[in-house]
Amino acid sequence: MSKKKNAFLSMTVFKVAALSAAFAAFAFYTPRFTNDYSMMIMNVSLINFIAALGLSVMLGMGGQLSFAAVSFMGAGAYFVANLTNGRLGVIWEPVPVLAGAVLFAAFAAWICGAVLFRLGGTYFTFATIGFVQVTWSVYLNYKFLCGGPDGVSGIPVIRFLGMSPRNYHDWFYILLGFVLAAGFLIERVRKSRLGRSLASIRDNEIAAQTLGVNIYRTKVIAFTIAGALSGLAGGLYAMHNQFISSDLFTFDMATTYVIMTMLGGVNNTVGVFVGSILVTMLPEWLRPVQRYLKLSYGVGIILLMIFMPMGLAGLCNAVLKKLSKRILKKTRAEPDTLGWEK
Amino acid sequence: MQGLNILLQPNVFMQLTINGVAMGMIYALMAMGLILLIRAIGVMNFAQGELLMLGAFITWGLTYQVKLPFVLMIPAAMLCFAFVGVVFMFVAYWPLRTASYPTATVISTMGAAMVIREIATITWGSLPLVSAPLVKGVVRVGSLRLQYQYLLTIAIGAVLIFLVFVLFEKLYAGRIMQAAAQDKYAAELLGIPTVLTTAATYIIVVTLASVGGYMIAPVFLVNVTLGTLQLRAFAGVVTGGFGSVKGAIVGSLFIGLVESYSSTFTTTYKDAVVFLVLIVVLLFRPQGLFGERVADKA
Repeated sequence: MSKKKNAFLSMTVFKVAALSAAFAAFAFYTPRFTNDYSMMIMNVSLINFIAALGLSVMLGMGGQLSFAAVSFMGAGAYFVANLTNGRLGVIWEPVPVLAGAVLFAAFAAWICGAVLFRLGGTYFTFATIGFVQVTWSVYLNYKFLCGGPDGVSGIPVIRFLGMSPRNYHDWFYILLGFVLAAGFLIERVRKSRLGRSLASIRDNEIAAQTLGVNIYRTKVIAFTIAGALSGLAGGLYAMHNQFISSDLFTFDMATTYVIMTMLGGVNNTVGVFVGSILVTMLPEWLRPVQRYLKLSYGVGIILLMIFMPMGLAGLCNAVLKKLSKRILKKTRAEPDTLGWEK
Repeated sequence: MQGLNILLQPNVFMQLTINGVAMGMIYALMAMGLILLIRAIGVMNFAQGELLMLGAFITWGLTYQVKLPFVLMIPAAMLCFAFVGVVFMFVAYWPLRTASYPTATVISTMGAAMVIREIATITWGSLPLVSAPLVKGVVRVGSLRLQYQYLLTIAIGAVLIFLVFVLFEKLYAGRIMQAAAQDKYAAELLGIPTVLTTAATYIIVVTLASVGGYMIAPVFLVNVTLGTLQLRAFAGVVTGGFGSVKGAIVGSLFIGLVESYSSTFTTTYKDAVVFLVLIVVLLFRPQGLFGERVADKA
């Protein structure tokens, strides 16, 4: 038993070391081999990761398919835009405004979640689709706060202690900081009581209820966390691109976020990271075959769902498991190979 | 309220009612397909709107590119729809039928939606194409001017709905399909070829949506953006009550009417109104207007 635990521990240490090395290499090499334009797209993919992470809390941890991420991204983005670019007569410091945007999105998500989670399962998913349509319609048409079809432009970049990023390469490091913070936060949540409650709801809602998990409250809290992350992503996007419009918050974008989350591995932070980067960067990498880009993208999604529904992370885990089995030469039959239960 | 005054003028009201019911019929055709799929294989199809769009393109292509006369166009289109249905099933559902993760199938229909949209864009381009209405002109009833296309849409929609009901309630083939939908395993033990029943379901679903696309083409132009209409069908399914075909039809008509009437109050927020109504209905009657309360599977 103790031996097994040790092996497990060293495995974890190895994993963490490998991950940190990969991340450091990513942080070190990406800016060196990327021009300014590609850097911008890369930054957007980091921002997308933060939003997709919120979705992973909902879908991966809690098993609730929600499309509402874009709504709260919009809330965060327009919050930042309106309070920093002076169109409402106020120009506030970007960092407190960003914090305010996160709180605002979280609050909106809390109210929305408290209302929508009176519905269960599939009904909830449909209600979020409706919600996305409503918010998109408001973002598109409401001139006073959302600028109507023209969007809002001239949003100042982030500034902290008088320093602000000069180019997209600077932004890259700032965003990496946010990515790390968000990633650690979510990993923390996963190991917490909340994360475990969510997992139990995902696996069997009725069993979770009998074990004393307050399903409604847990879901609403998860939705609030997801909303806060989306709000952060939206606020960062507004400051990064300095221009936002309702095109960013459509139902199509919402499905893109779902795909990002599913591609990498729905319940795996590293997987979601890889998924966000892949989905955002693919259009750039596949520019030569632009005409067939979306077609191959769609085909790719179908193939992915057929061959590895748990995403790249699931594939990775399966390969690792096989490898470790071969290395450790486990001969003990696993109970699930007996074939009694599928 | 000025909008209300306009709405309550009898002419306007009638006109909007006809338009709303016609649009509702289109949504109902899609919604029925959604319900049939949910019942038969338990999958929410996110490519429903794209199937409608593809139907519009196929009929347009057969009429204006292959230049078939109307009488030949209909059977040719039916064959195409059946082909699309079978291909759709074997690509987006069949390999996933034993998937351990139910959301995977849903995501794969999103992928399929993207594929269909792109195939349509590559084949027919992204510019809207004009399709002539089946019967041109308007009917005058008193001072009312009703477009034939809307009336025809209502009629054809009603006929199709009737046919589906006859199939599932009266015919032996329909009972077989229902049996396969309710308990696949038991049905297979009884010797029912569930592959065929599922394929038949897919063919029916594609045909319903495509006919909707054909009927709507003269009104909205043949365009890749027709796919967005599926959200209204979703709204119809949910307001009507999940899992019941009747509910879905009534819900879709309701959504069509709400959309139509709301245009006198606001044109910019038409979308918002429809979906706000959806959310409000869900909150007060989560089981939908006509549904029975069924808990999600444990």
